[in-house]
Amino acid sequence: MSGEAAKRRFREIVLPHLDDAYRLAKWLTGNGADAEDIVQEAALRALAALESTTPLKPRAWWLAIVRNAALSGIARRRPTVELDDTLVEPGPDPEAALIARDEGLRLARAMASLPASLRETLALREIEELNYREIAAATQTPLGTVMSRLARARAALSKILKANE
Amino acid sequence: MNDDATLRAQMALDGELDAANQLAFERELERSPELATHYAELVALREAIRAQGAGETAPQALRARVAALAAPARRWPLRPAALAATLALAAALAGFGAGRWRGDPTLPTLVAFYQRAALSGQPVDVASSDRHTVKPWLAARAPFGALAPDLAEDGFPLLGGRIDILDRRPIPTLVYRRREHLISVSELPLAQSGAGAATLEGYHVERWRDGERAYVAISDIDAAELAGFVNAFARKIAP
Repeated sequence: MSGEAAKRRFREIVLPHLDDAYRLAKWLTGNGADAEDIVQEAALRALAALESTTPLKPRAWWLAIVRNAALSGIARRRPTVELDDTLVEPGPDPEAALIARDEGLRLARAMASLPASLRETLALREIEELNYREIAAATQTPLGTVMSRLARARAALSKILKANE
Repeated sequence: MNDDATLRAQMALDGELDAANQLAFERELERSPELATHYAELVALREAIRAQGAGETAPQALRARVAALAAPARRWPLRPAALAATLALAAALAGFGAGRWRGDPTLPTLVAFYQRAALSGQPVDVASSDRHTVKPWLAARAPFGALAPDLAEDGFPLLGGRIDILDRRPIPTLVYRRREHLISVSELPLAQSGAGAATLEGYHVERWRDGERAYVAISDIDAAELAGFVNAFARKIAP
């Protein structure tokens, strides 16, 4: 049973960033169903942690919990790549919508095919929008490794996207 | 292109170069078409990645489950003495924390109805996007009928309606949809509700009234979108 103070902090810290958390989890796992499980598990961990902590940087703190839950989840079960059909909202122009959806799917597949460490680093940069130093701290990796992982992730995605053109 | 140039292009993209190096990079960009092409690819890739994630929201059921983890302990209904004390406290605190909930006792109940509806996956008793179906259904069950305006062209399709019981009285509640999110609007007797925006348990609440009745809209869409909904709703039902 959680204390009321922890619940209040949870409502202030976690609920406003639920969309970001889901997006991050979906990126890291590659599918929506796992992402839901992970966000829910992360929420439980966050609520327990809030009994005794008041994070200084709430959004970064919460997303770090989601990331850890995702990574331990990935370690437990082999990642499956299932892609749903709703990656991109269809626009008013059906042809353009079809092309956009196709590109979105290709990109999602490409991201899902990256090794976990590269995918994580890229997610920290592009979704959490951390700078190199912050990424190094979050992943406990040297700065140079962060930069080379980013470069490798981007090179791999560019290559896949170009190969499909 | 060598690794060094690749890394510099990436640092420029990520805003990690200092001013002198950024300038040097931009000069190099003008001189080298190969570098310019590479940099353009990096920019395009970033845009594609961000476009893909943009606008994706957590599913409604997940939001409801997570919100339920931290729902405050149930404190209503209170005994009359405690209720009076709470209202007095709320009055004393009025003006503190503008836009926050100020003790209207119907709000926690209505928010709980919203949560239950979202959690159960059955937010309506009568499911129809046709106001001419929803309106008579509600009118037959509540002492004052819902107006059920059609807001589809404003981006809020009607999902249906249901009857909630508040203070032992049936009240009509309409449910609209915005992307994956629900918006509920309950119509109450005039005396029953205040006015203004509030945030309760992470849900946004808008209360307003016209000459005849009071309305309470609840949703987990952001406050600005909910205000847009309320505007559209009020405009449609204006005589």
